[in-house]
Amino acid sequence: MISLEGTVSFWEYLGSRRERLWFETWQHASMVFQTVLAALVIGVLVGLLVYRSERLSALATSTAGVIFTVPSLALLGLLITPLGLGVAPSVVALTLYSLLPIVRNTVVGLSGVDRTLVDAARGIGMTRTAILLRVELPLAWPVILTGVRVSTQLAMGIGAIAAYVSGPGLGEQIFSGLARLGGANAINMTLAGTLGIVLLALIFDGCFVLIGRLTTPRGIRV
Amino acid sequence: MSAPPRGTAAGIDPAAPGAEDAVIPPTVALHAPTGRSWRAFLEPLAVLLIGAAWMLYVENSDLDSIEERSLKPDYVWQKTWEHIELTVVSTVVVLAIAIPLGILLSRVWARPATPFVLAVANIGQSAPAIGVVVLLAVIFGIGFWTTVVALVAYGVLPALRNTMVGLQQVDPTLIDAGRGIGMSPAMVLARVELPLATPVILAGIRTTLVLMVGTASIASFISGGGLGDLITTGVSTQRNPVLLTGCVLIALLALLIDWLGGMATRLLAPKGL
Repeated sequence: MISLEGTVSFWEYLGSRRERLWFETWQHASMVFQTVLAALVIGVLVGLLVYRSERLSALATSTAGVIFTVPSLALLGLLITPLGLGVAPSVVALTLYSLLPIVRNTVVGLSGVDRTLVDAARGIGMTRTAILLRVELPLAWPVILTGVRVSTQLAMGIGAIAAYVSGPGLGEQIFSGLARLGGANAINMTLAGTLGIVLLALIFDGCFVLIGRLTTPRGIRV
Repeated sequence: MSAPPRGTAAGIDPAAPGAEDAVIPPTVALHAPTGRSWRAFLEPLAVLLIGAAWMLYVENSDLDSIEERSLKPDYVWQKTWEHIELTVVSTVVVLAIAIPLGILLSRVWARPATPFVLAVANIGQSAPAIGVVVLLAVIFGIGFWTTVVALVAYGVLPALRNTMVGLQQVDPTLIDAGRGIGMSPAMVLARVELPLATPVILAGIRTTLVLMVGTASIASFISGGGLGDLITTGVSTQRNPVLLTGCVLIALLALLIDWLGGMATRLLAPKGL
């Protein structure tokens, strides 16, 4: 078992490092938010480009699937060579991982829209863009949002590993704990980083449930 | 790297599983079914060829002494083997815990506990893998078995969730029908529920395998061995060839294992579903 000499209790640790921990939590949240937002924009655009063709859809999903299967440490490592250490490889890797659930769900959501509704929209004289913006996307939105939720949860966990390539966020606590393995505060640091990420993930997920309630068109709300 | 052909495109379910996502119940395989044509073997063939080509290229390039030591074929092979060991051992343990427990928790008398277990599984899943691994290393010390414990702790929740969801989605009228023709609850489980839940459970095995290959790569942080060692060596000695070899081999191994899992899912699924 671990020796407790020279260590402080978990609460004391949290108190003494309050500012640093707030800062890292904020960094983590902001990194995840920004990368998922970028992935949402790219993913929906890709989804829009491919959803009409079955072949292109299969190609987009399986390409994203291949990236997704590559373990995060390996992808981060591959990105060090062109991008160096720091924020850049972390952001690129997180965005790439967040793409798959969003692309997949956009394609599924859009192709799941009832064709008769699209016909009806065209029948009342809506243009192609209007149909997309006012019929198809709103109907596919709940499915897309589920993809965003999955991506966010993934990005939270992978964001922790990003600290290995000097990325920002709570992963720093975990890696500091690892560097002091067996020493004072190792367990406090690791615990603070891990629990911080779990809490952030839960808060984000709660926000998504709320956003889902607020943004789902009234007619298809369950 | 572009996607290898995967045969015919099939309907993609919004609930299809990704390698690491288990937030939505995985019901349909991520990749389109390939059938048994020769094209199914293009992907592993491509993976093996790329791996061999990379190793040939690296071994024949100009290496300094550190690089040479970390890239000796024997050493790389040993690391690959360790990685496979970690993956297989932890997957077997995860399934040995998760499948029986999932069956137990989905019995009628355990139903009230289901939402509670699923909630815990969901919360536990948002714990970052690296956090779990380091936390267990702080508590139990470093090494192979700590790594296996950490991998199991990380992988057991998604697999448990998957088994429970698989059994839950079995049509209750079929269970009633089974009871109606005089089957005992155990027989209903063995001859109706489990066969019908097989596709979901098999998809879960594949998901677990892929999750374990990925998580095993962070084993090197706590001296658990595996190909992650090449990445950490490469980063700490600033030797790009070593780093890249580690990354490339882990990525290829993950793709290969995902393919194997996909094949197993297809071959073992009961006919008629």
